[in-house]
Amino acid sequence: MSRVLEVKNLQVDLPTANGTLRAVRGIDLSVEKGEMLCIVGESGCGKSMTSMALMGLLPKKAKVSADKMEFDGLDLLSLSKKKRNGVRGLRMSMIFQEPMTSLNPSYTLGNQLCEGIMRHKGLTKDKAEERAIYLLERAGVPYPEKRLSQYPHQLSGGLRQRVMIAMALMCEPDLIIADEPTTALDVTIQAQILRLIRELQQEFGTAVVFITHDLGVVARIADRVAVMYAGQVVETGLTNDIFNNPSHPYTQGLLSCIPIPGKTAPGSHLESIPGGVPSLIGDLAGCAFRNRCKHATKGCATDTPTLVEFTAPSSHQVRCPVSVESLKEAV
Amino acid sequence: MPQYALELCDLSRHFQLKNGVFSAPTTLKAVDGVSLRIPPGETLGLVGESGCGKSTLAKMILGLLPPTDGSVLVNDQVISNGNRFALAKQLQPIFQDPYSSLNPRKTIRQIISLPLQLHKVGDKRSQQASVKQMSDLVGLPERLLDQYPGQLSGGQRQRVAIARALILKPSILVCDEPTSALDVSVQAQILNLLMDLKQELGLTYLFISHNLGVVEHLVDRVAVMYRGKLVEQGTREDIFRNAQHPYTQALLSSVLTPEPSLGLPELLDDSAWANAS
Repeated sequence: MSRVLEVKNLQVDLPTANGTLRAVRGIDLSVEKGEMLCIVGESGCGKSMTSMALMGLLPKKAKVSADKMEFDGLDLLSLSKKKRNGVRGLRMSMIFQEPMTSLNPSYTLGNQLCEGIMRHKGLTKDKAEERAIYLLERAGVPYPEKRLSQYPHQLSGGLRQRVMIAMALMCEPDLIIADEPTTALDVTIQAQILRLIRELQQEFGTAVVFITHDLGVVARIADRVAVMYAGQVVETGLTNDIFNNPSHPYTQGLLSCIPIPGKTAPGSHLESIPGGVPSLIGDLAGCAFRNRCKHATKGCATDTPTLVEFTAPSSHQVRCPVSVESLKEAV
Repeated sequence: MPQYALELCDLSRHFQLKNGVFSAPTTLKAVDGVSLRIPPGETLGLVGESGCGKSTLAKMILGLLPPTDGSVLVNDQVISNGNRFALAKQLQPIFQDPYSSLNPRKTIRQIISLPLQLHKVGDKRSQQASVKQMSDLVGLPERLLDQYPGQLSGGQRQRVAIARALILKPSILVCDEPTSALDVSVQAQILNLLMDLKQELGLTYLFISHNLGVVEHLVDRVAVMYRGKLVEQGTREDIFRNAQHPYTQALLSSVLTPEPSLGLPELLDDSAWANAS
């Protein structure tokens, strides 16, 4: 397998009136060809900032830095704006959260579907439309020929998201970044869309970075998972490892918060994580999660934990010295 | 003790849609002949996809929208449209989005005490005392009372909305997706709070949600709505163990729990349940 994306120590700083907001604090990510990596975390943990930084869509005042940010051999950090524009849309594309707002209401769907491929690959309109119809059909949109002359408001939310997926696939990208693509949809539609993304991903061998807050979705579609908290990855590993053997107190807390039909006794008291997310302005000393953590020790306030790999073959990594200690003892 | 805390008799709401100047208007049946009964102290979960009429139903129950047909009985009495004050004392809403349901220009204290002022309950001092008592009850620290909604987190705002809803001591709460705008760790806190309050105050809940995991955890009975009609209702066990209607079955099979071994559910097709009712 070849590595499509490799990021080392990604940081995003946003200047605000109260000081610098360090939204992303040193993230390492890597995605192989044909792999589905899920980034999961609560609102404000920096997952959307990470995706925007990868796509190069952050506003100018946001400072992005990294030790390494390589996309298929291309160094994204040193790429000129023009070259970057040539990569975005052609080789990496994005599916946004809200199909209601991410399509332009005043252009036809055909216009929006074909724009990218005509610009990047210089296809004629007929050829581009042919491909659009093919992909709409693959994405399960009924009457694909008719859709090209329709406007976004004529479609339901689920159909619009299918159009977005077709659009992301137009240029056969190597990498798709999907930022909460099913959050705005009904559960039955969500299941259909997730299945579609998974099928198309496997068929075209595309690498996908899937960003969501829903652990249920992650469990069902991811190959690998990265759990984010306060701008850092606190736990990462294969999906089965994360869900069967959650090792960071935050991951454990998140999983115990969710009532599971048939497993959680109805009406019983749910576990919850007390407190809230710390302010991300300025530096954080020690572990960012320590104020909400059951296992916090004195050392957590002073020593900033690093990601530690504790099972060699499966690359399961945890940013918590306390749980790594106890896991080593268990082994 | 009333027989039913909330009773809906054949409730309908139709909207006339104008398609153009010359064509005859068509009728959209947003809610079509819905009958429901909730005994006091029970929690009914109302589930269904977006656009199925859940929120229209909630608006009619709250007296915000007059029904085309049928009636709403609160504690065995018909509440006529003009008498919102009487209704507000018995029935209060909690809305989905705590970011837009609180006035950003009022302090938390003003927001929670406003119902008391409108209903002229007690004097200023007793009002302040009950605001404090209520904020204790919902777990809102007192130092937040003089802050503005913008300074609060989502979970704290939803606690404010709950405190405001409970300050008039109603017996029924209509919760329209109260946790869907919150993170899961906060969602658990709010669900725990709602369950505790129900025990403590003997409340009746109409709990509208599309999250079936949450519904299963919280409710005694479930009603499933599809295209403006109730397609199935029953006890929690009936619906979650032995669903009859294909739409209910489809809904249940699309619940994604964090169990990686299960994979994604089979691709569903609307036609399986569109015509069965």
